Amino acid sequence: MTTTLTRAERPYDPADLSSHEFWEGTAEDREKTFAELRANRPISWHRPVKNGMFEDPNDQGFWAVVRHADLVEVTRRPGDFLSGKGITFESFPPEMLDAAQGFIAMDPPRHTKIRRLMAAAFTPKQLARIDEHIVANSRRIVDDIIRKGADKGQIDFVTEVASLVPMNNICDMVGIPEEHRRTVAYESQFADGWRDPRLLQGAEPLARLAQTIMTVHGIAHELIGQRRSKPENDLMTALVQAEVDGERFTDDDTSSIFALLIIAGNDTTRQSISHGMKALTDFPEQRAWLMEDLEGRLPMAVEEIIRWATPIMTFRRTAAHDTELGGHHITEGDKVIMFYSSANRDPEVFDHPERLDLSRWPNKHVAFGGGGIHHCLGAQLARRQITATFRELLTRLPDIRTVGEPELGNGNFFHTVMSMQAEFTPENAR
Amino acid sequence: MRIVVDRTKCSSIGLCEATAPDIFEVGPDGALNILMDDVPAGRRIDLEQACENCPTQALSIED
Repeated sequence: MTTTLTRAERPYDPADLSSHEFWEGTAEDREKTFAELRANRPISWHRPVKNGMFEDPNDQGFWAVVRHADLVEVTRRPGDFLSGKGITFESFPPEMLDAAQGFIAMDPPRHTKIRRLMAAAFTPKQLARIDEHIVANSRRIVDDIIRKGADKGQIDFVTEVASLVPMNNICDMVGIPEEHRRTVAYESQFADGWRDPRLLQGAEPLARLAQTIMTVHGIAHELIGQRRSKPENDLMTALVQAEVDGERFTDDDTSSIFALLIIAGNDTTRQSISHGMKALTDFPEQRAWLMEDLEGRLPMAVEEIIRWATPIMTFRRTAAHDTELGGHHITEGDKVIMFYSSANRDPEVFDHPERLDLSRWPNKHVAFGGGGIHHCLGAQLARRQITATFRELLTRLPDIRTVGEPELGNGNFFHTVMSMQAEFTPENAR
Repeated sequence: MRIVVDRTKCSSIGLCEATAPDIFEVGPDGALNILMDDVPAGRRIDLEQACENCPTQALSIED
């Protein structure tokens, strides 16, 4: 049955996906709500998210898409469900979208051209060529924690491992020099962490976000100038030399793509490595199974770790016109939110989705997207980094494990681990 | 069998390459290359899957 109520008339679903408390909890808490919605009300209308910022008086709510099949369908209907109006719950001002979200918040035909251009740097063959750098970066990070943790064997896993892996690899690819690396990795956290008092440290969210954009664009503009006068073999050079429809990118276009690359490059793989380390600690029998044939089983294990982590929990689309989805009438302009965390726990697709099963194969998780035009550009890069890091960690620090519960973020976009302690026996390190 | 690429639609997302890396390849310039001019009939399932998976419906099979 199709209902044709207007946005203002639609009743809100009783399940809570919008409160601050919902997003402050754990993935397991949220899964209880998702399970009920998947079983009974797979497409449901909800009140707008509460966050105290970017609350738009015209924002009457959002559709929640929680099943795997529906998420794939929305992803694969880019003409009906647009990205160009924003990719998060919040109605960010358009100038902020332009400055920080690059081609992820774009629609065809412009998206098509920029995506094709970027694809060249991320092809499987190109990544195979840089794999030795990826492996070397993970090796150096493990060398450093062995040295630093030599007396006690205790580290903050996020600071010392999970955040450094993607920081070094994406900065190598883009061409960001050492002196800017920690800054861009730190600033990228504000993309979703602008609501987190632990990160804000008293700053006003909008002002802090603006500061992030200025800092990142400042570094981008500096690099643009340098690459124009002296080209290098990196993505920044490719961007300043690129032409789309016979035109060069403006410096602001290039900066926006730069911002997207560092945010998407840093804040995703970081979470997968953190959640992966926690999972390997929590499920020792799975870890033992993996260690019986680490090289042979790592590819399967990495896919399951990525499903388990689901580093991006949600993406939004906006209805381009009145349309149908799963028997519901969707009105032009409606926000449609896809819940990746929920789709990756859909029992229609995964046998015992609540179990970490490192031997799960095929693993049809949607952590990199549902196979649409915005499918993760860096999927192969992420897989290689996670593989290299766990290979190093598990072989050289055989008893590395997390301690206690991680401190989690409170956002609705990245599945953030803010900090997490880990320990290992220094005498066993090799 | 032959694969036809609609160049106006193809965004080089590479899901076809993930399905059949010996037939499809996103090249160093970001354009999709077809590595087999004449695809043997035994590979029809792979080709159909690549066409089906293509996010931009840029691929078709010509018998």
